[in-house]
Amino acid sequence: MKKFIINIVLILVAFLIYFLQSNFFTWFNIAGVKPSMFVLFVVFIGLFSNKTLGTIYGIAIGLVVDLLVGTKIGITAVALGIVGFLSAVVDKNFSKDSRVTIMFIVLAATIIYEVVSYILNYIFLAINVEILNFIKILALEVIYNLILTIILYPLIQKFGYIIENEYKGNKILTRYF
Amino acid sequence: MPIQNGLTYLKNKVQGNDTFFTDINNLKQENEELKEKNEQLEQSLRELENIKTENETLTEYLNLTEKYGEYKTVPGYVINKDISNYSKTIVINVGKDDGVDVDMTVIGNEGLVGHIVSVTDNTAKVQTIIDTASSVSCSMSTTKDAIVCKGTLDDKSSLRAMYIPTDCNIIQGDSIETSGLGGIYPKGIHVGTVQRVVNTQNMTDRYAIVETAVDFDTLDTVLVITNK
Repeated sequence: MKKFIINIVLILVAFLIYFLQSNFFTWFNIAGVKPSMFVLFVVFIGLFSNKTLGTIYGIAIGLVVDLLVGTKIGITAVALGIVGFLSAVVDKNFSKDSRVTIMFIVLAATIIYEVVSYILNYIFLAINVEILNFIKILALEVIYNLILTIILYPLIQKFGYIIENEYKGNKILTRYF
Repeated sequence: MPIQNGLTYLKNKVQGNDTFFTDINNLKQENEELKEKNEQLEQSLRELENIKTENETLTEYLNLTEKYGEYKTVPGYVINKDISNYSKTIVINVGKDDGVDVDMTVIGNEGLVGHIVSVTDNTAKVQTIIDTASSVSCSMSTTKDAIVCKGTLDDKSSLRAMYIPTDCNIIQGDSIETSGLGGIYPKGIHVGTVQRVVNTQNMTDRYAIVETAVDFDTLDTVLVITNK
């Protein structure tokens, strides 16, 4: 029952993020660059739950985004799926209590997500490659995501431990010793 | 006499008192009536404002249809924009039910917007000309030389005009139109104007920055050309 409620809340948050991303951040941006809150969301699910849930949420959110606004279906799904899977993998090796570690994970996740989707876009849509502009936008996006992480992490952590207790149970303690 | 004065004052005071209560009742009623009237007026003001915006939108549609009279068009609203920083697609509120199909051209009041990439019953996704995956075959209005305009990540309101013939003399401020080659965009639709020319060491690599006629930040009404 608790798992069901957690999933309902996560889906509602995903809708809220979609609303923010398509409306709020179009004018609340840094030099025209929007953050990528879906990456933050999937990283957070991956870190606090398990590989399966992280990957499933990554792919599901990606598919919805692709269906709503994407040109080719599957590009965002694959990129977010990879992010969800990897963040569940790194959870085993890093502590989530350190804010610096979380920031490094978000930094890496944003770069991986954007690079993977850029490469897939290049392959499937034959986009014009502009490495310098891409790096410039990516850098601003990473900074924006990090700022959001700093602001939102206390809230994420609070809700995250509820998910962790439900999905990982008591096993959580054993791995630290 | 002071006593008389005082008595008269008292008498007047008492006389006025009987009308005092009826006055209050009248005022209350009047107040109610005025409040109701005010509400009605506010309501009609809101209605008027709605009609005003509707009128503006319809005039915009009319201007668009008059301008591109030779094409059969379907008007639509922009209902969604891409959430990513790298692609610039938009979603409009017309779809298969309105006769819209894939590869149809989308135009705005000022010029070319893009083309339809996918369509559902009630919506359609438009790949704008400023998207990095977009290439439009164009020609310059004065020299009639063929060029290709591609979207860039750099700017939301400019295109990069490439493959400029080496013997071509590009004029700043020259108007760029679609050439009709490629099969998607019809001939003669205004794309933008040449902002500046960037010369490189190799003459064949030089390119021009074209400012788009359409302002994609404020774009909200479009027309889909349903016949070619």
